[in-house]
This record gives sequence, structure tokens and C-alpha cells, in this order.
Amino acid sequence: MQFLTKYIQKYWKLFCLAVVFLMFEAMCDLMQPTIMSQVIDVGVANKNLAFVLKMGGWMLLITGLGAISASTRNIVSSIVSQNFGAQLRSDLFSKIQTLSFKNIDKFERASLVTRLTNDVTQFQMFVNGLMRIFVKAPLLCIGGLIMATRLNAQLAVTLALVVPIVGVLIAINMRIGFPFFIRVQRALDGVNGVMREYLSGVRVVKAFNRFDYETARFNQVNEEYRTKATGANRLMSVFSPTIMLTMNFGIVAVLWIGGVRVNQGQMQVGHVIAFINYMTQILFSLMTISMVFNMFVRAKASLGRIGEVFSEQNDMHWDGQAQFPDKMKGRIDFQNVSFSYEGAAGEPVLKNISFTCLPGETIGIIGSTGSGKSSLVSLIPRFYDVSSGKILVDGEDIRTLDPKLVREKIAIVPQKTTLFTGTVEENLRWGKEDATLEEIGQSLRMAQAHEFISTSPEGYQTRIGQGGVNFSGGQKQRLSIARALVRRPEILILDDSTSAVDAATEARIKQSLKKYAQGLTCLLIAQRISSIMDADKIIVLDNGEVVGIGKHQQLIKTCQVYQEIFQSQVGKEVQHAARF
Amino acid sequence: MQQDSNRAQDNSSTAQQPPMLGGPGRGARGFGGPGRGPVEKPKNLTGTVKRLWQYFGKERKLLSIIFVSILVDSALTLSAPYLIGRSIDAMSTRNGQVDFGLLGITITVLLVAYLSDGLLTLFQGWTMAGVSQRIVKSIRRALFEKLQKLPIAFFDTRTHGELMSRFSNDIDNVSNTISQATTQLMSGVIVIIGSLVMMIILSPILTLASLITVPLVFLLTRTIAKRTSILFKNQQMQLGKLNGHIEESISGIEVVKAFNHEQKAIEEFEGVNRVLCQVGLKAQIWSGFLMPIMNVINNLGFAMVAIVGGILAVKSLITVGIIASFLSYSRQFVRPLNDLANIFNILQSGVAGAERVFEVMDEQEEPADLPHAIPLENPQGHVVFDDVSFGYRPDVPILKQISFESIKGSSTALVGPTGAGKTTIVNLLTRFYDISSGKIEIDGRDIREYTRDSLRRCFGIVLQDTYLFSGTIKENIKYGNPDASEAEVEMAARMANADVFIKRLPRQYDTLLSENGGNLSQGQRQLLAIARVILSKPALLILDEATSSIDTRTELHIQDALLNIMDGRTSFIIAHRLNTIREADTIMVIDHGAIVESGNHDRLLEQQGVYYSMFNNQFKNLQSQWDEDQLGIV
Repeated sequence: MQFLTKYIQKYWKLFCLAVVFLMFEAMCDLMQPTIMSQVIDVGVANKNLAFVLKMGGWMLLITGLGAISASTRNIVSSIVSQNFGAQLRSDLFSKIQTLSFKNIDKFERASLVTRLTNDVTQFQMFVNGLMRIFVKAPLLCIGGLIMATRLNAQLAVTLALVVPIVGVLIAINMRIGFPFFIRVQRALDGVNGVMREYLSGVRVVKAFNRFDYETARFNQVNEEYRTKATGANRLMSVFSPTIMLTMNFGIVAVLWIGGVRVNQGQMQVGHVIAFINYMTQILFSLMTISMVFNMFVRAKASLGRIGEVFSEQNDMHWDGQAQFPDKMKGRIDFQNVSFSYEGAAGEPVLKNISFTCLPGETIGIIGSTGSGKSSLVSLIPRFYDVSSGKILVDGEDIRTLDPKLVREKIAIVPQKTTLFTGTVEENLRWGKEDATLEEIGQSLRMAQAHEFISTSPEGYQTRIGQGGVNFSGGQKQRLSIARALVRRPEILILDDSTSAVDAATEARIKQSLKKYAQGLTCLLIAQRISSIMDADKIIVLDNGEVVGIGKHQQLIKTCQVYQEIFQSQVGKEVQHAARF
Repeated sequence: MQQDSNRAQDNSSTAQQPPMLGGPGRGARGFGGPGRGPVEKPKNLTGTVKRLWQYFGKERKLLSIIFVSILVDSALTLSAPYLIGRSIDAMSTRNGQVDFGLLGITITVLLVAYLSDGLLTLFQGWTMAGVSQRIVKSIRRALFEKLQKLPIAFFDTRTHGELMSRFSNDIDNVSNTISQATTQLMSGVIVIIGSLVMMIILSPILTLASLITVPLVFLLTRTIAKRTSILFKNQQMQLGKLNGHIEESISGIEVVKAFNHEQKAIEEFEGVNRVLCQVGLKAQIWSGFLMPIMNVINNLGFAMVAIVGGILAVKSLITVGIIASFLSYSRQFVRPLNDLANIFNILQSGVAGAERVFEVMDEQEEPADLPHAIPLENPQGHVVFDDVSFGYRPDVPILKQISFESIKGSSTALVGPTGAGKTTIVNLLTRFYDISSGKIEIDGRDIREYTRDSLRRCFGIVLQDTYLFSGTIKENIKYGNPDASEAEVEMAARMANADVFIKRLPRQYDTLLSENGGNLSQGQRQLLAIARVILSKPALLILDEATSSIDTRTELHIQDALLNIMDGRTSFIIAHRLNTIREADTIMVIDHGAIVESGNHDRLLEQQGVYYSMFNNQFKNLQSQWDEDQLGIV
């Protein structure tokens, strides 16, 4: 948990201040039963009205001081916990942003989101609790014990008996209860699992009429959950009255012993009342402590999950000084590149890939799903580092360069289009912050997106909902291409990014690319042969290996995989068509 | 989020606070200040509660017993301070001697009272755990059974997350309400009334003195709660904003990194985060004021009683024991008063949760089968669409007067741009939706005159998004025909070209699939889905973009499998790629909800219409290339 040091250094003073106020608050709380006993024993017993008034005034004063102290503590603790939470969240977010994909892939994306939201909040609440009840409860408990013993040592014997019993009961409760609640959680996950499957597969369920089967499955997990939840709740329902009863027996004992002592003239009645008050206080603080432990277990789990992210080390290295040589623009060399994802067993995703892509060339990459096309292009902007071999961009081994520098030269349009909440213009400016409206317009035109954007009433200011829900798949892809073009990159990578664009539009995009972006190196991943057949070079991938490089005419004769793909896409049409 | 867990925490702290039987202790209230968030108000409190009551069903008897037990328990709780007071009185007799006879009796009674209170609390908790979980289980089950009867339209218009949260969060809220809030509410009310009565009996003057603080409490809670509820709402909003930003920049991190946008994403994040921090700070500080001020007010009452009591005692109007008991009662009177507001919040959110559950229960179900509906048996597969019109929303027609006929064993392909209405035709055929006007016939009878079950059983549907369930491969293939034998399963897999890859898996047909078959490739999942359809032996077959997410080489494999099962069955094929449908007997081009062309591949090409230009667009390049290549080779 080393990452916490920073925050401890920053907040420990304020934290201690809050605890000091908290202690004062607890002291005020602790003094009250004593004052009360004074009122009865001295004031009422001696019929001294002035004393009653004086003590009443003291009591109010102390409560008032306690309240002021509590309010101040509340302000301090709120400042500490909120600022701490915000900073922790912010640091975690920055950390995630700077990690490489090799690190990020170790976590599910959804789990990263939960870590940033739930886990941080959970821990923040724990920190706040520390300054609110967690420190106060033990203080009240110990203070109560001291005050009660000071008040009357003989009565305190009952405490010496009762408090350990209650402590043990609480410990047993937690020891037994915790696994119970884990089981309840697991049973709940079961219910949610069946439910989620049902919702996702509802068409299949309906199509196959499998309602009975689904209901049976649901009833099973539902019953399981019921049993587990009932068990856990029943367990709790046994402990709480037992603890209460132990404490109440203590009160009865105090009354009896008190009676005997008062009779012998060794004790005053008011002491008995005060003692009972302290007992209740101790009981409740013990109960609170048990709650604190529960919170602690949860906070610890959250802290562990946060710590996991912080402990990730970005192991991409580079030479801070290294720069690209000026002479070349847009050349890519793969030299014997092999690559596997971290932790993935079996064969590497890419095996011994070598090819060269000259400035201004257009390279097509084709192959079945899972043949390694996307992995290959994700190596170029240094999303991942090669396992062996070398990739040169403009003649420099990219492993010596800051990934930022490499990425500046490259614009990649990923397979999954991602647009962000905001206007069209804002999204396009991702490519280049200071792009002029003209540049934006030109990029939109090249990506064949200008028409539908400019005809919409708000134009460039059209808002894009989260994930781009208000645009069709093809429109989103075209916007995403435009975003890449705004950047005026040396190398453009299109990872199957025209799959939802119809053939005619796709052809127009390619034409305008050729016309306006001369000297632009272009890597195209495609499913359709027609998308890449006029490329300068086509790389055919199969099972992570290059099985053919060359122009369409060569490959169609020499490369079997390419022929198969071609057949599968044209095959009979052409023969049909040939009849016309 | 924060306010939720705060509430949960309060909730558990109240749950752990057994009725306090001791003297005027400070109680646990001083420790955990409530972070009361905005409370969701139920729309129709009494109506929903009445409805919820019906689910209590046979638990009502047990609940009444619990209620009686709470009543007795509360009386015991009320008697304790009185008994303690009597004991104190026994100690402070005039002559300085303790009246051991009286002390012995009161202590014995107190002991019995405590013991019975413990047993009753145990009984209540134990029984309530069973009762509430049984009730909640039956609600959950009813909700699930309701889902089975809802039309596809219901699922299409709601996000899964929202429905899931009704199943978990909302029902949990209901269960909390039943098990905690109701019992606490009951005992709280009884204790308040009882305490008040006892206080008046003990000393009307002291009662008046201690009640002075009550209006203050109300005023204060009102003022602060009003302010904090706005602040908490604001905090919740900022939190939602921040979560949105996190969600977006984490799921789109590829793009963030590709564009070197990390710094900007961090800056934006920090902007929202800062606002959240400020709002959260305010909300927390304001809500934190409540408890200390409340303490002051409570102690003010306490002091009032002490002073007035002292005066009265000095004048020998009341005994010391009465003051002691009275102080306990005034505590007991105030404590549940504070808690009641909290409990009422739980209650309200529970009822609001129940309302959301009932909302689903009230959704319109798929209309029942017509009274004279007959099961569709041994279907031939003769399908007729007669002047069919349909819209998902009445004002937006999707299909306009569609008419066509598919004879037994023929294959019909539907092509056209997205949104043209292709999938809608399939949805109508399977009665996932019912038509607005016109008629659909199978084997010469309106499909609405068949039972829905038997109608759907005739169809085998392969969708673009194949849905596999968690379970083994065998279970998934048998999904449509659970009684199939092992040999039949393997036969179906063979026909679907799936047996090759299944045999290569370490556990073969017993391989466990994770949720939605995540451990298989898209193509493999599709092959399993096809095997599943083959095994269900449908008379009619629907392929809705069955191969569009698969690369063309894999598609070739699947196509063979598909041709196998299409043989002899009336089939409908929706496809994006035109090469997949060229063999169809009839190709229908759908655009804007109408059939614009119809015929087989050759005839449509001859017509040189829409299909011709679509085909050309997809294959023009390839075709010319092909010609060149042919020339080159020759």
C-alpha cells in the first residue's frame, strides 16, 4: 500500500486535528453521566436547588462545547475525506491513462471503471468514518470503562465480566457471519447471472419455447438465494439479542450489588444510575466497533483493488532524447516480428513477420478473423511492444522512441468506432487541437461525411451522444476517419473501418485519399477483397503468418489462401455475370 | 453512490440498535450521523402497500404473530426504566436503609422482562428473516414469470441494466422494508406512545418540561434536511457525470492513446472531479451538522428535566426514582423520534422499489391465444403475406401493404438497406410482434389462429448475434430439443460442420462455455447455433444475417451447413452480402417498407433495376478484375 504514503504526508496534520476534536467530543460525552449523578446525589439529595441549576448549566455548556467540537471536526473531516477521495480518484485515473495496453489488458475494462468509482468511494467513506465514529467508538469504550471504574471500582467488577463476554460474542459473530455474507453474495451473483443470460438471449428462449427450462433454472438460484439470505439474517438475529441480554444481565447485577452497597452506606444512589449509563455507552461503542470491523474488511478489499492498479509498472522504455530523423516520412519496416499477448498460452499471435512499406504506399492486409491483422497494426503506434524482432518507423526502431512521438505521426481508425460525448467539431479536434474550420471541413469531405453533417441543422455543432448513438454505423465510421485525417498524419491505419460503409462511398473515400493526401502511407485492413485489390501491396495473413505479399494479380495466381478468399467472395457471381 | 451506502450504513446501525433498556444513556446515535440523501418518493403509497400486502399471502398469520410479539416486547421495553426507577427508589428510602424486599421483587421482574425481551427479539428476528425472504422470493419469481409472458417489444425498448436493477436493487429494498423498517416502525410508534403515556403518569409537569424541545427538533430536521437534500441531489448528478466520463474514456482508451489525448482526458476528468469534490464537501458538512445540534437540543431537554425535577424533588413532590425513570422515558421518547425519520426514508424507498417492480408486472403481456386457436401440427410451410402493414409505433409505419407467397420448401431472400424492414418481416412471421393490418397465413390459416407456442416451435432461427448460454456444448445444442439423444446431437453437429472443431476441444461435447460462449470464435459460435437449429428439426427456417459477422472464408464452411438444413424446408434469408443469397428461389428487394423487386437472381439482373445496381456496386471491381485475370491466365 505504498501509494498511500503521499496522501498520509499531505493529510496527516488535518487528520490528527480532526481526531483531537473527536477526542474532545468524546470527553464531553463521557462527562455527562457523572454530572447527572452529581445533580441527583448532591443537588436533589441535599435539596440544594442552586447546585442543581449550576450543574444543569454545566451540562448544557459541556454539550454545547461538544457540539461545537463535533461541528468543527465534521468540517475538517469532510475536507480531508473529500479532498483525499478526489485526489486519489484523479491519481488513479491519470495512472490508468499512462499505463500501456499490456498493463491495461490485465484488467477488465468494467472492473477499471468500478475501481475508479465504487472502490475509491468505499475507501473514502472509510477514511471519513475513521475521523467520525471509528476512533470515537474505542475512545468512548475505554473512556467509559475508566470513568465507570473511577466512579465505583466494586461495580466495575460486573464490567470486567460482561465486557469480555460481549467482546467474544461480537468476535464470534463476525467470524461466523462473514463467510455467511460471502455465500449470500455468491448466491445473488447466481440470480443475476441467470437473469442476465435470460435478458440477452430472450429471442432464443422465445424462439425455442424454453420457458419451463428457464423458469426452473431461475427457481433454483432463487431458492438458493433465499436459503442463504435467510440463514445469514437468522444468524444475525441470534447474536444481537444475546449481546443485549448479556449487557442487561449486567445492569441487573449492578442494581443488586448497588443495592447492597448503598445499604452498607458505601455508595450513593446517583452512582448506580451513572454507572448504568456508562454501561450502556460501553455496550453501544462495542457494537459500533464491530461495525467498524465490517467496514474495514470492505475498505481493505477496495484498497487492494486500487493498489493493484497503482502497482502496475509501465515497462515500455525509451530514450528520452531520441528523435525521428528528418529525412524520411512514412516508411515502416517489420523485421522478423513475433508477438504474443501477455499471459496468453499457445502459439504467438504473429510469427516472423517481415515487410517494408515505403512512403506514400498503400498496403492492404487481408486474412480470416483471428489471423492477427489487428494485432499487427496495433504494434505500429507502440500500443504493444514486439516479443522479438524489430519495427522501424522512418528508419528508427520504435522501441527507442517515446510512444507519444510515434503516435504523432500515425493516425489509426480502430475497428470499433469510438466517438465521445460532445459536438462533431470537438470530436474532430481530437485529431488536431488547433485545426481550422477549413481543415475540419476538408477532412469531413475526404471521409465523405461532409454531406450528412452539413445538412443536419446544427452542422459541425451537432451533438454526439455517448458512444455516438445518434449516428448510424457507417456515419460513425466516416466521422472517425475524418477525425484521423484532421491530424494530417504520415501514416494512416484503417482497421476494417469501412465495413458499414457501402461500396460506392468506400470507393469515393479511397479516391479522395489518393487525390488529396499524396505521400500518405496507408495501411488498410479489409474483409472485402474489392476494398484492397488496387493496393500497392497486399499482405495475406493466415494464423499469424504472412502467406503472401504482392499485388492482386500476383497473389491471385500464387497465393492459395488469397485465392480461397477471392473465391468465397466472387465465385459464382462472376461466372453468372460473365454470361451477360 | 455515496449517499446510498450512507443510507445502508445508517440502516445497519439502526438494525444493530436493539431497544435500549438502560438508563438515560447517550445511545449509539451520537456516533453515526445520517447522510440522508434525497429520498425517492413513491407515487402511490397506499395503493402500492395494499398490493404488496397481497404477496404476503400465507405469511400473514406469521406476521400477525410477530406483530403481537412486537407489542409485548415494546411493553417490556417500556417497563424497564420504570423498574429501574423503582429499584433506585428502593435504595433511597427515607431512613437510608435499602428496601431489599422491594429491590428483590423489582430486580426479579426486571430479569424476567429482560429475558423475555431477549427471547422475543430472537423470535422476531428469526421468524422475520424467513418471512421476508420467502415473500421476496415469491415476488422475484412472479417477476421472472411475468418476463416470460412479455412481448419482445418490451425487451427491445429497455436496457438490460435497468431490468437487472429492478431484480436486485429494487427487490432488495422491498426486503429491507419488510424485515427492518416495518418492525422498527411498529416498535418505534409503540415506544413513543408508551413513553409519552408513562411520562404523563409519572409527572405531567416534567412531561411538559421535556416536550418543549420537540418542536425544536422538528424545526431543525426540516431546515437541514431541506438543504442537504438539494445538495445530495446535486452530488448525485455530478457523480453521474463523472461516471459517464470515466466510462467513456476507459472504454475508448485505444482512441485516447492513439491521439495522444491522455493529458486532455486527465484535465477534463479533474474538472468534473473538482466540482464533485466541492459539492460533496458541502453536502457532507451540512448533513454533519444535524447530529451535534440534535445532541444539544436533546441535552437541553435533559437539563430541563433535571432542573425542574430537582426543584420538584427538593419540594418533595416527586421521588428521585421518578426522576431517573422519567429521564429514561424522555430519552426513549426522543430516540425513536429521530430514528423514525430514517425508517420512514427506508420505507419510502422500499415502496418506490416495489412500485418499479409492479410497473413491470403491469406491462401488457403478449395477447393470449384466441379461444379457438389450434396447435400447428406437422406444418407444411406454405407462407402467405396478404396486405400486411405494421409499425413499432403507430405513427411510424415500417411495413406498408406487403404481399407475397412462399410455397412449401422454397427459399426466399430479403435484401435491402438497413432499416428497410427485413427483420420486421421475420418478427411478424414468428409473432414476436403482431401485425397492424392484413393477414399472415401458414398452411392456409391465419397465424393468429394457431397457439403461439406451437407456431414458434415450427421455426428455426439463426441470428447474427448467436446467443449461447453458459453450460456445456452439448447442452447448448440440445437447447431446442432437450430430449435428443447423444447420437442425434453429434449428427446435428456434423451437419453444421461443427464437429470438427468440437472434437479438437479437450473435453469435446462436454466443454463448458462461458457466458455467451466467450471462449469460442464468432464462426464457431455460429456453427453451434446452426447445430442447435438443426436438432430442433424446424419446418421453417429463418436466417437473419446469420453469416454477416464472419469472414468470407469461414462463411463458405457455414454456407454448406446452411444449404444442408435449407433442403426441403421453407426458408427466409436476410443478408447483407449478396453472394450469400444468389441461390434463393425468390429474392425480394425491400426498401422503405415495400417490396420494390422480386424474382430470382438471373431475372433480377436481367431487369437491370435496384438489385442489378446493388449487385454491380458490390462486384463491379471484382468482376472487371476477374475478367483481366482470366485473360491473364488464359
